[in-house]
Amino acid sequence: MFDGNLEDMIMTTRLGEVVKWARKNSLWPMPFGTSCCAIELMSVLTTKYDISRFGAEVARFSPRQADLLMVAGWITRKMAPALRKIYDQMPEPKWVIAMGACASCGGPHNSYAVLQGADEVVPVDMYVPGCPPRPEAVIDAVIKLQERISRASGDETRQGAALAPRQEGA
Amino acid sequence: MPTARQLNFVERLYLPEIVRGLSHTIRHLFRPKFTLQYPEERDVPLSRFRGMPALVRDENGRTKCVACKLCEFVCPPVAILIEAHEVADHPVEKGPKVFDINMLRCIMCGYCEEVCPEEAIFLTEKFELAAPSRAELVFNKEQLLEIGGVRPDPYHKWG
Amino acid sequence: MNTTHPAVTDLRTETMTLNMGPSHPGTHGVLRLLLEVDGETVVSAQPILGYLHSGKEKIAEHRTYHQFIPYTDRLDYVAPLSNNVAYVLAVEKLLGIEATPRAQYIRVLCCELARISAHLLWLGTMAVDLGAVTIIFYAFREREKLNRLFEDLTGVRMNTSYTRVGGLAWDLPEGFESRVRAFLDEFPSQLKEMDGLLTRNRIWYDRCRGVGVISREDAIAYGLTGPSLRAAGVAWDLRKARPYSSYEHFEFDVPVEEAGDSYARYLVRMEEMRQARRIALQAIERMPGGPISVPDPKITPPPKRRILCSMEELIQDFEIVVFGHRAPKGEVYHSIEAPKGELGFYIISEGGGKPYRLKIRSPSFCNLSAMSKMVEGRLLSDVVTVISSLDPVMGEVDR
Repeated sequence: MFDGNLEDMIMTTRLGEVVKWARKNSLWPMPFGTSCCAIELMSVLTTKYDISRFGAEVARFSPRQADLLMVAGWITRKMAPALRKIYDQMPEPKWVIAMGACASCGGPHNSYAVLQGADEVVPVDMYVPGCPPRPEAVIDAVIKLQERISRASGDETRQGAALAPRQEGA
Repeated sequence: MPTARQLNFVERLYLPEIVRGLSHTIRHLFRPKFTLQYPEERDVPLSRFRGMPALVRDENGRTKCVACKLCEFVCPPVAILIEAHEVADHPVEKGPKVFDINMLRCIMCGYCEEVCPEEAIFLTEKFELAAPSRAELVFNKEQLLEIGGVRPDPYHKWG
Repeated sequence: MNTTHPAVTDLRTETMTLNMGPSHPGTHGVLRLLLEVDGETVVSAQPILGYLHSGKEKIAEHRTYHQFIPYTDRLDYVAPLSNNVAYVLAVEKLLGIEATPRAQYIRVLCCELARISAHLLWLGTMAVDLGAVTIIFYAFREREKLNRLFEDLTGVRMNTSYTRVGGLAWDLPEGFESRVRAFLDEFPSQLKEMDGLLTRNRIWYDRCRGVGVISREDAIAYGLTGPSLRAAGVAWDLRKARPYSSYEHFEFDVPVEEAGDSYARYLVRMEEMRQARRIALQAIERMPGGPISVPDPKITPPPKRRILCSMEELIQDFEIVVFGHRAPKGEVYHSIEAPKGELGFYIISEGGGKPYRLKIRSPSFCNLSAMSKMVEGRLLSDVVTVISSLDPVMGEVDR
């Protein structure tokens, strides 16, 4: 006869938790690599650092198949519309990592041509300092993003990443 | 010197290449693993590691920085902001009231450490700084001093 | 020279404009190509640049010579060390000084390690573009070892900012020579592995042979430099033609191929890696002793210990940082054989610590100009081969 506690025998979870678990462990990146950081991003994807250990190795060059936009490198004013277009094409839910100083705030390129941060055109969820960041720092950012996804309440997986307010000379 | 000769008949068959490719794959199965299991396993930090810059105190707990603004001046991406004020601590007289490093701007070139005439700013081994907002990555004086810790001063410039 | 693929010569349809890039994995960054295609055949290809223009030349006018060094890393970010060397050599020429023998040898070592690193990246990406995904993992394994060496030497993996006007930032670390030697001893067998997978592979051969052909005359007329020029049969290498930084002390061969196609460029680069290893080994063996910076107090800041204790040196430190190196009026051009070709810096000085104008002659930009000529009349899939075999780095093209 059945004499055990029912809860010990059946794994109970809410559907939302399962979805979050699946989402955080299959973050397919779209590497929007423009400059130096793209080379480090390749290091992250390849032999030594191998981001596939976190389920994020399937680099998709089509935004339609990606969950995670990795902005790596400086974004010029000429490039900004392309970045926005790619972001708009990604299906929800989607996240953005600004990798490196240039994507985060323009970095050393405080000039007429460079956007002072990718967050002027797309909402950024995680900023990774460094020029370029070490691959470890990028993996660290992915882990932090995964934690954030699993912490999110209910179906809401994005926690209000927003466009940066326009700031002069920031 | 390599020669660009034509492929011969055997080379034009795909089969030998397939065998060769697969034999590479099999050989690599038994080689030592090259991947670094990052969060658990880390590279040994090297002595010249250039990570996040931070301020240090001397063994008496005094902020070594005297707000000469040389690092602010040399910093290529202009990541440092210093405002000076007078300090009572005789004989130094001057110190930083505000010392902010915008880690988003910082390119970790090490120029600040190189030019500092007081050995007050050092590049630390801290580099995992990813954060969800810009504001969290602008470090103020207190945070920088906490990260930098204490470096005993071998010269005792200020008595 | 038959540039039209035989299978499509008799097919003609209405041409279509195809936009390749700026975000395309085959364009090595943000190159945008406006292709006019007739079916699968490329009628014309027009590169559209400027998607990575960061205004570095303008920034240079507002930075001292010393402060601009980190920006040179971000030109050809695949081989930052060699950009550092090119820039400081130009500034040193302007100031009329020459680095110490030890600094020169270390610079040669840096340049050659950077060349290996850059060519490994090229090999990996070109293989991926042509469908041989395995190679990038092998190439990056070697590159990671090199990055570790760079980290040992400079503190960071990329964007090294290692050289200084009049010398170097730091001397070689303890035991660095033996670590470089260990890498270089192991390297040929690893390279042979990649070479064995590609060179006589039929798919690789067929996709590269006869693709992107450029004649000797055209190569010179378009101003190609580096491996792309040498693959077209011109034995021009600045390390031999205009030796700088003691390159005349080293024995090495300049690989030259006659065909001028993508396969020839591939062979030249593979051989260059072996020659770079040879030079690096010689540099380690014959490394001279002595200081790494010129002993001129107007050029090199005094040692830290002296700055801490003495007023004179403190003032000197401030002078060098605040006013920069006091350059005389004049114009100089200095170029080196960077992994991609001739990387030159043209500096106009009106006196003082900042350049009046700084122009960067980047090899990728000039090499890319020949791209349209190479792809016209070829199939669409050859465009990717041609771009990868020219190996442009957009940071350097757009600057």
